[in-house]
Amino acid sequence: MNDTIVVIAQHSQGAADPVTYEAIACAMELCGGDNSCIRVIVPGKQTADIAEKIAGTTGADVTAVEGKGLKLYNAEAYIKVLEGFLKDIKPLYIVLPHTSTGYDLAPALAVKLKASCITAVEKINHADGKHTFIRPLFNGRLYAEVVPETESTVITVQPGAWHKAVGSPDKKGRVNVITADAGSTKTRTISIKHSEYESAALSQSDVIISAGRGIGKKENLSLIRELAGIFKRSAIGCSRAVCDVGWLGYRHQVGTTGVTVSPKLYLACGISGAIQHVSGIKGAQTIIAVNTDPHARIFSVADYCVVEDLEQFIPAVLEAYGRLYSE
Amino acid sequence: MKILVCVKQVYVPGTDVTIDHSSGWIQYNPTGFRLNSYDEYALEEALLIKERIADTRVHAVSIGPGRTEVAIRRAMEIGADEGIQIRYEKEGYLSPYQTASLISSYAKEKQYDLIMTGVTAEDDMQMQTGQMIAGTLNYPYASSVIKLEMKTEHLVYVERECDAMRRECVELPMPCVLTIQSGINKPRYPALSNVLRTKQQKLMEIPAQDLVMPEAREKIIKVFLPETTARGVFLQGSAKEKAVELLRILHEKAFL
Repeated sequence: MNDTIVVIAQHSQGAADPVTYEAIACAMELCGGDNSCIRVIVPGKQTADIAEKIAGTTGADVTAVEGKGLKLYNAEAYIKVLEGFLKDIKPLYIVLPHTSTGYDLAPALAVKLKASCITAVEKINHADGKHTFIRPLFNGRLYAEVVPETESTVITVQPGAWHKAVGSPDKKGRVNVITADAGSTKTRTISIKHSEYESAALSQSDVIISAGRGIGKKENLSLIRELAGIFKRSAIGCSRAVCDVGWLGYRHQVGTTGVTVSPKLYLACGISGAIQHVSGIKGAQTIIAVNTDPHARIFSVADYCVVEDLEQFIPAVLEAYGRLYSE
Repeated sequence: MKILVCVKQVYVPGTDVTIDHSSGWIQYNPTGFRLNSYDEYALEEALLIKERIADTRVHAVSIGPGRTEVAIRRAMEIGADEGIQIRYEKEGYLSPYQTASLISSYAKEKQYDLIMTGVTAEDDMQMQTGQMIAGTLNYPYASSVIKLEMKTEHLVYVERECDAMRRECVELPMPCVLTIQSGINKPRYPALSNVLRTKQQKLMEIPAQDLVMPEAREKIIKVFLPETTARGVFLQGSAKEKAVELLRILHEKAFL
């Protein structure tokens, strides 16, 4: 049986993204703890340098697949190039990060390879020489244990679920560069747009007071602002859901699709703790969460948990602050 | 233009989630079903196109047992012209590949210019079905679309939402598949005229066995509640006592 594990690297601006190293770490676990059966593929335009870096850091063998039509991510071009390549290797697993590139590519690639596809994997179980994959349902309220029933399986790895892979410093993986031509594609990736929003306020603040849908109504943002007012150098953040309903602009959105933050204090108000939000606050030194639901996922990452209704709790904090701490 | 919007009736559990150990899936409470909110964004995007381009027809399709009629009718009340119900009677989990195969098999000869769906479903959160429909039909596709413009009669321009607030700008010819991200628009509510029209309409019913449905390529062996992994301290007492305690902690850690 073929036990090759292929990792498809994600990179931007000439460097592998951190999620690529997390995907390699997951592949190493599938490989039984080392990198002997791992082959990392780096599709792109000039990716040999990125391949060298990955091979040096992780010790895994890396193939840079360079070619026309691969400069920017394009699902059709990537599939055209990867399909033939992967059909030859017949990997046991193909591992991608669960990012908007990874989950864009993985399902369609799985269809072409007649592979199963398991997305947002957070954990692997090993039993009887078989792997099963643990992934969330209902925003993490439940988990499912999934077993593939095909020769090849495509999996996407939840960002933050694995620590970045590091290999032994004396063993560098082999690097080879192959040229591929995606030919003409119907889809045309024109450019990458960077946000026009200034999100510096969030990434540079010591304290972030963040609002979720659990604040109940837009008017309650005034409570959040008042609470932020008792801290120096604070900023207002929010969950994606709050942006989606238009209570705050997307420049306030904290999470992997918004701004990743690492403040000294993160105070989550009425935030349930969607996975992409929690991944975006991992760097916070202290996390305090206030939520009415004692089972809210946010409590699993919080240092201090308050089960209270914000409409009562924030005024109580402001009142006590005025009484005890303000000069 | 002809647009197919794939909608899902999702189960949104209340405060308690119960696992039915005989079926290995969660126990449904009949009041917990609703139209997947991501699909509402996809439907709204289709309706916005319909408002701009004359002779556009919007169809809503869903797979499942009888109960899914409610979600399809909801989509029609919001504005879909027709509803298609692919009847698959078995309750429980249907894999994205099987779902995509059924929809592709239905849509194949129907000349849809655009097939749209939500980027994910609120219940099983796979983010796969749209891309798999595209893979099965050999259509170009883009997932996580946060902006959509019709360039010409045959060409769409989309922006895909990427990490760290980046956007990928992509052009695709039709027919193509788009999965729509939340926040792209403000989904409308049903209008009375559409509610009345829907009452007069019949759904097109297609038994799943008349379509192509392959075996699942992966199986769920169990579902389980996560271990309570709260590592933090739960503050105790009344709201006022908790407030005082929280301030004490903030002060001690020099945040105040």
